[in-house]
Amino acid sequence: MSFNFDLVWSSLPLIIQGLGMTLKLLFLSSLIGLFLALFILLLRISGRWYLMWPAMAYIYVFRGTPLLVQIFVIYHGLPQFDFIRESIFWPVLREPFGCAVLALSLNAGAYVSEIMRGGIIGVDKGVKEAAMALGLPRWQQFIYVTSPIAIRLALPAYSNEVVSMLKATALASTITMMEMTGVARTLVARTFAPYEIFISAALIYLALTYALQQVFAWIESHASRYVKKER
Amino acid sequence: MSTTKKTLLAVFAAAGVAGAAHADTLRVGMECTYAPFNFRTADGVLTGYDVDVAAGVAERIGIEVEYVCQQWDGMIPALLAERFDLIVASMSITEQRREVIDFSIPYRVSIGRFLGRSDREFNLFEDDGTPILENFEGLRIGVERATTYNNWIDDKLPDTNYLLYDGAEAMLLDLRNGRVDIAVTNPMKAYLDFLSQEEGAAFEFVSPALDSVEYFGTGVGIGLRKGQDELLEQINAALAEMIEDGTLTEYSHRYFPFAINPEEWGDVPSN
Repeated sequence: MSFNFDLVWSSLPLIIQGLGMTLKLLFLSSLIGLFLALFILLLRISGRWYLMWPAMAYIYVFRGTPLLVQIFVIYHGLPQFDFIRESIFWPVLREPFGCAVLALSLNAGAYVSEIMRGGIIGVDKGVKEAAMALGLPRWQQFIYVTSPIAIRLALPAYSNEVVSMLKATALASTITMMEMTGVARTLVARTFAPYEIFISAALIYLALTYALQQVFAWIESHASRYVKKER
Repeated sequence: MSTTKKTLLAVFAAAGVAGAAHADTLRVGMECTYAPFNFRTADGVLTGYDVDVAAGVAERIGIEVEYVCQQWDGMIPALLAERFDLIVASMSITEQRREVIDFSIPYRVSIGRFLGRSDREFNLFEDDGTPILENFEGLRIGVERATTYNNWIDDKLPDTNYLLYDGAEAMLLDLRNGRVDIAVTNPMKAYLDFLSQEEGAAFEFVSPALDSVEYFGTGVGIGLRKGQDELLEQINAALAEMIEDGTLTEYSHRYFPFAINPEEWGDVPSN
């Protein structure tokens, strides 16, 4: 078998047809996942066991099972129950897109909330004590003192998570979504040339990852502009 | 002779003929999940019409076979990459595929049919078998990726809304759940696994048999890499013998209440 470089280039524009869907999946699930993560984080650091335990159970389940399994359970498993098919959620769950976004968001929620918690733990104790000494109420301590520092500390890990999410969107192709990997798999089926087509898809993923890294590098440097550079 | 002795002898024999043009074992690629053509029984034994055909051919040309399971959309690439030597996986003999691999003579008919709920009026086809395009509008169609049905829809119903599945099971599940309105697949399989079962009771065929040679080929054949004319001749001779002496009909009746080899083909019961 010979490797056909022309096919790599000529399939690029075809695979890019799936780019919009990949970005839609990434953007929506990152956004929903972020809000979900914040909610879970607040439960997790509330200090009350009846709020902490459900949050810990959620994180354990979604970090402890493969995303592919979560996608299959949501897509193939949920419709087995009549009450789900008759519920108000069915219009969303009926769509492969809805199922993919739900699975990716739930997954991101678990990981991102742990990343946020890591940021909060990293905030220097002295800073928290200073805030307390100023007599700020607890919610003001959290919003004005802890959060800005925690966000800065969590950013590198968060950017990592977003890149992981980008790659995770490829799993949506297993539930009929025509995002970039879905398009690539269909092209392979037509051309019988898996190497060329998947390398072409890989090039686009690499370009996207590069763009994401640049965006996060800028945000990180912006967030750390008052921080003394360590040498 | 015990199996161990047989294996040992085979090892010695293989060592003796090392470098010979033909290995004594050919690896056969199939999905292993496409009941009743190639699938595993509850206790893990690989069986089905394709498996019987592969074993029958192997016996007649005096080779051993070893089965390799491969997902459908990578079947031809895996053959070309020499992960196995033969495809015996219900693959239709189409012109597009013949550009890259060779096929034996057909050992089964190749057709497609649409399925839908019996309590809905679809009226998708004229009496002469041409699709009525406007009646497909608004319907969501299920189809398996990289199949003859996939090509047919791309050409005949280019503007329809369809979902691409990796296997028939997931597609029929979604048909039942209402994610797709109609689905196109192999009617023999659909009859056996779905329509004649409890879960498919509310469904029926909603199209005539789609059988144009342009899309569905002359039937289902054994695929092999190009340039193996001697092996191809042996396989064809074995298949011809199996057609002649009724072996294929016998294999059909192991799984179906009707024959599925081209020579005996009637039709699928319409449920």
